[in-house]
Amino acid sequence: MNAIIKVEHLSKTFEITQSQKGWSGALRGLIKPLKKKIAAVKEVSFELKPGELVGYLGPNGAGKSTTLKMLTGLLVPTSGVVQVNGLVPWRDRTKYVASIGAVFGQRTTLWWDLPVQESFDLIQYMYRIPDKRYRHNMDLFRDILGLDPFINTPVRSLSLGQRMRADLCAALLHDPKLLFLDEPTIGLDVVAKDKIRQFIKHVNEERKTTIILTTHDLQDVEKLCERVIIIDHGQLLFDGTLEALNNRFGGQRTLQVDFAETYPDVSIEGAGLISHEGLQATYQFDRDILSASDLISRLSNRYKISDLSVREPAIEDTIRRIYVDKLLEN
Amino acid sequence: MRLFLKILRLSFRRQLTYRTATLAGLVTNLFFGVLRASVLIALFNAQPSVNGLTVKGAVTFAGLTQGVIAYLSIFGWWDIMQSIEKGSIGADLLKPMNFFTYWLAQDIGRAAAQFVTRGLVLMIAFGFLFQITLPASPAQWLAFAFALILSGLVSFAWRFIINLAAFWSPNAIGFGRFAFSLTWIFSGFAMPLRLFPDWFQQFCAFTPFPAMINTVIEIFLGTLTPPETLQALLLQAAWFVGLSILSQFILKAGIRRLVIQGG
Repeated sequence: MNAIIKVEHLSKTFEITQSQKGWSGALRGLIKPLKKKIAAVKEVSFELKPGELVGYLGPNGAGKSTTLKMLTGLLVPTSGVVQVNGLVPWRDRTKYVASIGAVFGQRTTLWWDLPVQESFDLIQYMYRIPDKRYRHNMDLFRDILGLDPFINTPVRSLSLGQRMRADLCAALLHDPKLLFLDEPTIGLDVVAKDKIRQFIKHVNEERKTTIILTTHDLQDVEKLCERVIIIDHGQLLFDGTLEALNNRFGGQRTLQVDFAETYPDVSIEGAGLISHEGLQATYQFDRDILSASDLISRLSNRYKISDLSVREPAIEDTIRRIYVDKLLEN
Repeated sequence: MRLFLKILRLSFRRQLTYRTATLAGLVTNLFFGVLRASVLIALFNAQPSVNGLTVKGAVTFAGLTQGVIAYLSIFGWWDIMQSIEKGSIGADLLKPMNFFTYWLAQDIGRAAAQFVTRGLVLMIAFGFLFQITLPASPAQWLAFAFALILSGLVSFAWRFIINLAAFWSPNAIGFGRFAFSLTWIFSGFAMPLRLFPDWFQQFCAFTPFPAMINTVIEIFLGTLTPPETLQALLLQAAWFVGLSILSQFILKAGIRRLVIQGG
């Protein structure tokens, strides 16, 4: 299938004016400001197929939001190509934004002093949503997102979780083919996060909406995304399935064993012994070298085991290692 | 068009909810209006007229200019600047609507509410306090209505352009203050342009400012002949169209420079 989003060698450089020290510096700044160029996004390329749900990850300041703002037509790229739905977002902005939905978790796209329902009504006019379609979507989203308790409350009086649900509804009333979500679960409690995740999943599966999601909450990624794109310092580091990411960088699995008797030495070939105390020992092993069942049979041949458990590497650890240890940088 | 009217209505209603601010603004405008009228009466010092302006006309002038302060946001209007600084402009740009028309609809709604609550009420109060001149014929009333609407549009286009300065500077308020203060002098807000030297009046004629206030006053006071009135109205319309077109180029350049702060 053809790509719905095409990004090629996309770059964005910001120019910021730096203040200089002292009086002479301030004067010099007036005449010839000291400009510093900051490359927020460098030569990023990727494609998305219709119906995909992709997690766009990276530490703070990696360039995630900047990419998303270019994809939604808010920022003009310094260089490179962005084509979404056959349109260039920033050039055909008004036409383009009618076909997408976007939620920026940090700020609302609704009108601050209007009640939620009136904001939605205004959106119906703006996007020219046919009455029947609008009512159908409205009923559905009110139900799934549980909007009824605050549907007549002004947006400024909503709690964060309520606001996020209202924003999600607003972004989808016009049946966009594409949905951009910038940290949709930021600052929410566990229950609210779960509700939002279910909704995102529903939209992707039932409506076949293509979704790009940025988040710092890796549970969002684990529960929602098959594919992840990781960027840092504006550069694309990884683009592939979550499974491939785990296989490549997942690091080691761990096996915890409770022995039936005490043994002075419990080391075993193929796995590293991390701790051994009393009856309990923990091993670390690599999935490529040794399977869990092989390790267990090796152990049980030699020792009497009362209990054991295998732990997969957590996505948190994987991502942390990619960010901190710069696993992907050349 | 339905959307335009809907936004206009919402903005009108929002403006009406600021009751305390409206009342406070009205009282201030009226206070300074009475002050200015009194000063003008004293300055005329029993002369029947100065440069074709009668005492009665001068007092009416004071009332009119005080009455349009809120309607035309003469002391400054920073809504778009603030939205650029705070980054909420992002939400507006995500809407499938022309940015200029979106703000125009909001401003007409706001202006309409302030025309009623602060303009009309003030003029009625002035009518009770002083002797004022009123348009003499229905045609003059009609011309006045057109002039007032066009002045609002010219003023909006001008304020829109000034606000776009925020795309270039994170602290454009200073520039804005300067730009808005030009309006007070060159529009005939501080003093009727008729009372200024000829060269100054000629200079002003090359700026959009008289189209914001002076035209309205001249038509209301009946100092223009019918052909002059028509010409003045056409000039107002031309300024609105010209400034609007100019604003689109500036807007386009501005958006290219946009940096959305935070988040």
